Amino acid sequence: MNTSKYDAFSKRHPLVNFLFFIGAIGCGVVIQHPAYLIAGVMGGGTYYLLLNGKKGWKMILGMLPMFVILTVINPLLNAYGVTVLFHLFGRPYTLEALMYGAAIAGVFVVMLLWFGCYNAVLTSDKFTSLFGNLIPALSLLLVMVLRMIPNFIRKAKQIIGARKSIGKGAGDESTTKEKVNDGMTVLSALTDWALEGSVITGDSMRARGYGTAKRTSFQIYRMTAMDWTLMGMIVTLLFVVIACGANGSMTATFTPDLYIAPITGLNTLGFIAYCAFLLIPTALHIKEAIQWHISRSKI
Amino acid sequence: MAHFEIKNLTFSYPTAKGKHSLEDVTLSIEKGEYVVLCGKSGSGKTTLLRHLKSVLAPHGKHSGEILFNDIPMDKVSQRDQSAKIGYVMQNPDDQIVTDKVWHELAFGLESLGTDQKTMRARVAEMACYFGIQDWFHRDVANLSGGQKQLLNLASIMAMQPEVLILDEPTSQLDPIAASDFLNTVRKINIELGTTVIITEHRMEDIFPYADRAIVMDSGRVIADDTPRNIGKLLYEQGNDMFAAMPTPVRVFYGAQGEGDCPLTVREGRNWLSKAFPEAPKVSTFPAEPLADEIENPALSMKELWFRYEKDSPDILRGVSAEVPAGSLYAIVGGNGAGKSTTLKAICGICKPYRGKVKVFGKRVEKYKSAELFKNCLSMLPQDPKSLFVKKTVREDLTEMCRNEQKIAEVAELCQVTALLDNHPYDLSGGEQQRAALAKVLLTEPKLLLLDEPTKGIDSFFKETFATILAQLKIQGITIVMVSHDVEFCAKYADMVSMFFDGQILTTDTPRRFFGSNSFYTTAANRMSRHVFQNAVTAENMIDLYKQNKEG
Repeated sequence: MNTSKYDAFSKRHPLVNFLFFIGAIGCGVVIQHPAYLIAGVMGGGTYYLLLNGKKGWKMILGMLPMFVILTVINPLLNAYGVTVLFHLFGRPYTLEALMYGAAIAGVFVVMLLWFGCYNAVLTSDKFTSLFGNLIPALSLLLVMVLRMIPNFIRKAKQIIGARKSIGKGAGDESTTKEKVNDGMTVLSALTDWALEGSVITGDSMRARGYGTAKRTSFQIYRMTAMDWTLMGMIVTLLFVVIACGANGSMTATFTPDLYIAPITGLNTLGFIAYCAFLLIPTALHIKEAIQWHISRSKI
Repeated sequence: MAHFEIKNLTFSYPTAKGKHSLEDVTLSIEKGEYVVLCGKSGSGKTTLLRHLKSVLAPHGKHSGEILFNDIPMDKVSQRDQSAKIGYVMQNPDDQIVTDKVWHELAFGLESLGTDQKTMRARVAEMACYFGIQDWFHRDVANLSGGQKQLLNLASIMAMQPEVLILDEPTSQLDPIAASDFLNTVRKINIELGTTVIITEHRMEDIFPYADRAIVMDSGRVIADDTPRNIGKLLYEQGNDMFAAMPTPVRVFYGAQGEGDCPLTVREGRNWLSKAFPEAPKVSTFPAEPLADEIENPALSMKELWFRYEKDSPDILRGVSAEVPAGSLYAIVGGNGAGKSTTLKAICGICKPYRGKVKVFGKRVEKYKSAELFKNCLSMLPQDPKSLFVKKTVREDLTEMCRNEQKIAEVAELCQVTALLDNHPYDLSGGEQQRAALAKVLLTEPKLLLLDEPTKGIDSFFKETFATILAQLKIQGITIVMVSHDVEFCAKYADMVSMFFDGQILTTDTPRRFFGSNSFYTTAANRMSRHVFQNAVTAENMIDLYKQNKEG
């Protein structure tokens, strides 16, 4: 997640990030129109690569076999469609079902890509700060759990290590029963340890006035003019996309009959809006890179 | 007007069967004072401190009165207490509530319902004052112990308290982080006038700067005076707490010096210069024979290289050492230099990708795990708590060995017989350390590895610990110890090695090792190096001083 530090979109207000991903993932789930899917894969893929650098290729290439498998499997389960390609196990294998499979697999890939970006951009602290004002108690709970999990893992490792160095604990030669027993011992020690720690945490919270007043929540992020502009763009573009969608511009049915709405006339508007919307993070990233380049060359 | 006024406070825990944890404590603490509270573990320091903040006050039978700014404590609202009385506890980790540094800084202010604008200003202020800007956005999990404790302090200071109460705040920190932390506390006291009440083991860093020292023993206040007078008083009473005094104080009284008692190394040097206007007749101990080739070393390491992950930097970069059988071998060095990793490599928990570890002449990989940890090698980890897995100390020891007589012997040796039926977590730091040692010793090791054994232990318990180690040595056990505690190593180790940059750079006897260092050395050596050549402990100095003055 280090790379996201240099990403312009990640630096925007969490609300902007959140709104964008709701739009991108929401549309991604609903729309099966091939042109839109391709736009989704391109938009999501590019941004994913910008965020993850070379490591991103691994994940993207890893999706290829998944895409193929999902596509090929669908006709086996779904025999609707008019264009029979061949028969398999006595069942027709149809072109429509194959295309439908490709569309579903495409939706899947788009979602994975956007969720990958979501994870890198909307870190836990952004998420909690976003909802901190709405439900302060819940967001504090979330923050504490987020802190507890790595703590728990670290302590477990410490106990296991300590036991190993006095010749206790399950090794490679232990039987399953011994392993289970040892696991239980470690778990119970861990619980005791955590309980003791939570008493101190509780003390520390009360010592700092927890429960003496209505909690406020510290907002580390502030909405800037740039954030408002982006918000406006996101909302407008999404509105256009949805309006066009309601008008049938992105309808695609595969079975029993293949129908894909043509991208002509007014439908073009929806498609362009969708592409523009998906390119927001990428465009921002590139814009910032260029600006940086120019401002540096002036120095 | 006194800041805190404690009048005849007596307290007993419900389980203590009438035994008082605090008895008739009467104290007055003025605004802006820097007060250090000392006493052995279990003398009631923490119990007293916790009474100074209602939400933390233990349950039990109280009598007497505590006034805060002349108002009885129970009349001061919770909100006022939260904001005005800051309390820093021992464990840096468990005190932290949230997962981000900035959020932790704001936590107290959030609880008090402070508005956004004030909160922003205060958090920014604190981050600057404590030098936290650089790690403001970091995850708490990635901070060092010292940074965590500084964060705890800063998040309390953000509420702008009038009083800062610190309960052994540096016991879990390494010496450099500890000294940084204590300097910050002192800075707060001097620059902001915040009243400070602190308990500490590390007297050298506090004692000279405190306005007042209060000594407690079994729940009573036995002395309340300036630090200089306290030193004298403890010496005259022959109190155990004298061992915790800074080196200059101990040397001064031990050697029956004349003039004002020195508190700092600087004062100590001046005092010594005055005592010896001309070079003393005996300025050095007789030379120790140079170590021979070690025959049959208990442990030998040759060119160990290790890293945790494939593309992470090397932690061990060619560690080589030979440990003679039956000795106490200490490895000192900075934080994160790889000292603990070296111990793990010896145990086979970390597998070096190059190099050899031989334990009693046999390569460590050649041992079966059951063979290695039975009757051969055993390690006491840095946090003794990680060894306790049962409800009582006795059950924990029984996990290792069913022979009751053997358990009784080991418990006797480690002085935990009286503690056998307690829950391990109810013991003090020093007691936990000894109970954990007992558990480790039940594997009957011939080679014992200790990771920071003196961390968080007061000087009195350290001496107890040292006697136990001495007894183990008599039984022929070889001890390898990794430590930050130069004073302890200088006093008790047979050999000292300096660990730096992933390797062992020098190895020598403590006297030669610390005698030739001028920064990384003991307070006694820093204080006396212009007069004596190789006095590295208070005892060494007293010895030389007396030789010159008497004979």
